[in-house]
Amino acid sequence: MDWLVEFPHMNDDSLRALKKTIDEGFRGFTRSHGDTIEALFSPLKFFLIHSERIMVEAPWPIVTAVILAIAWIGSRSWRIVLGCLVTLLAIGFFGMWEDTMRTISMIFVCTLLAVVIGIPIGILMSRSERFRRVMNPILDVMQTMPSFVYLIPVVMLLGIGKVPGLIAVVIYAIPPMIRLTDLGIRLVDKDVLEAADAFGSSNWQKLTKVQLPLALPTVMAGINQTIMMALAMVVVASMIGVQGLGQPVLKAIANQYFTLGLFNGFAIVGIAIMFDRVSQAYGKRLQQHREVTHG
Amino acid sequence: MKALLASTCLTLGVMSLSSMAYAQECGSVMIASMNWQSAEVLSNVDKIILTEGYGCSAEITIGDTVPTITSMAEKGEPDIAPEAWIDLLPDVVKKGIEDGKLIQAANVLPDGGVNGWWIPKYLADAHPEIKTIQDALAHPELFPAPEDASKGAVYNGPQGWGATVITANLFKAYGAEAAGFTLVDSGSAAGLDASIAKAYETQSGWLGFYWAPTAILGKYEMVLLDWGVEEDPDMWAKCITVEGCADPKPAAWPTDHVYTLVSTSFSERAGADVIDYLNKRAWSNQTVGGLMSWMTDNQATGEEGARQFLKASEDVWMQWVPQEVAEKIKASL
Repeated sequence: MDWLVEFPHMNDDSLRALKKTIDEGFRGFTRSHGDTIEALFSPLKFFLIHSERIMVEAPWPIVTAVILAIAWIGSRSWRIVLGCLVTLLAIGFFGMWEDTMRTISMIFVCTLLAVVIGIPIGILMSRSERFRRVMNPILDVMQTMPSFVYLIPVVMLLGIGKVPGLIAVVIYAIPPMIRLTDLGIRLVDKDVLEAADAFGSSNWQKLTKVQLPLALPTVMAGINQTIMMALAMVVVASMIGVQGLGQPVLKAIANQYFTLGLFNGFAIVGIAIMFDRVSQAYGKRLQQHREVTHG
Repeated sequence: MKALLASTCLTLGVMSLSSMAYAQECGSVMIASMNWQSAEVLSNVDKIILTEGYGCSAEITIGDTVPTITSMAEKGEPDIAPEAWIDLLPDVVKKGIEDGKLIQAANVLPDGGVNGWWIPKYLADAHPEIKTIQDALAHPELFPAPEDASKGAVYNGPQGWGATVITANLFKAYGAEAAGFTLVDSGSAAGLDASIAKAYETQSGWLGFYWAPTAILGKYEMVLLDWGVEEDPDMWAKCITVEGCADPKPAAWPTDHVYTLVSTSFSERAGADVIDYLNKRAWSNQTVGGLMSWMTDNQATGEEGARQFLKASEDVWMQWVPQEVAEKIKASL
């Protein structure tokens, strides 16, 4: 009756042999292709390093002014701009300016990459039912697979630092971008599409002039979610050597420096709220705009 | 009905009585496993021996050096830290012992722990002139930093390790920044290990902190750089182990003393035989190294490693326990 109590599993030796073979295969792959893959990712690394350098080395009043200007252009709301100013000044006052700049630079590049990759995939998903069926389980894996499972192999391929961190963040943060782009395009009113057809628009015109503009508020919600999820990964990314607010958080956890942890945690929350309010306000403005013209 | 009630009471009574007798023997014990292999396997060996041999109900909790020892010194929890590198935070351990929260038990690694800055063996073979840290610092081009190839890199451990603070201070002491090096924070033990593995698989340069006995050093052969200077206990205690020390001077890393720490409350509630075991248990770096390379080759967990050790190295552990306890443990394997 042993087989009833204990699940009949593959015998231990062959299971171990299987794991070893796959591991050895991966090591062999690293040995032979590691350099090529690293070279492939070097433009990205260059971009990451320079974006960080600009953020860290630029004088703080200029950085603050630029961030506030973006907040104003996005939200057109003095309250939000004032909130951003207070958050930034508080972060700087408590000595977290440099780490915060590193984190913002990282989040900025990650979001940009997620948008550039995510929107085309989302468009493809909205057009092809089959592609959607393939992508959905992949997106599920990306959102639930514990990051360290794929992070350590990536570190072995690309070395410690920003690029593996970026890959981890993008993998975790891109699914809402893809899903909401897909959803937004699918939700566009059929009558509107029919009208576009009636005017003889091509597929490309339909996509760029009708579907995407009408889906924009949903897409903006996707970008907003992507930013939030990217910020949630800051601490995980710092576990493979990404500089920024995650490092002091790890230090605080390891040494039980409660205040240090709290300060840096709140700095992450502060950035999150800034990004969130501005991008949400922007999304809302787009919606108002749509209601006026199409209402 | 009455009979049923009476028997229930009796059963309950007997049960509580027997569990009381159990508690006097050993009771529940929380063993701190650290997140590296030698400590992990040792804590599993302790768990099996204490559970099977002494009838404790032992559980393992995962910790890290600084938080675990601090918590033992402050609160007396967890009960046992099998492999505590006490030199990493001497003040905390001393205070814990003075306050009566801690007891120092066996010198579990009599060979001591070897900490230092290492380079891969293939690099040492290709550049035989690199013997000391100063030699290595003269060649930043051999150890390119991951994010700025114009500089050399010294890989440091993750935040929270005592050794990370020490490495940062030594980096300053040896003037590595002026020599064109940056200190790379590896973020986690896994990150540090992966950076070594990556260097080895691509045969590139690597310079950084690591320690023996470890499976990584069993798998990837590394050479310890000489410090080029003598030990300086005064400088070490006052500056190099202190975070943010302003003016560190080069000093050799003393061989670490690795002891088992036991909380006073556990030593009082456990029997003398259990404490006797914890005072005796020790193994050589060679034994641990061999066991760890077996574990790595077989992708074994700490528990599997502990079982392998108990099966294969009877001559070592039979000396730690009395005959009748040894029989019980053997019977359980």
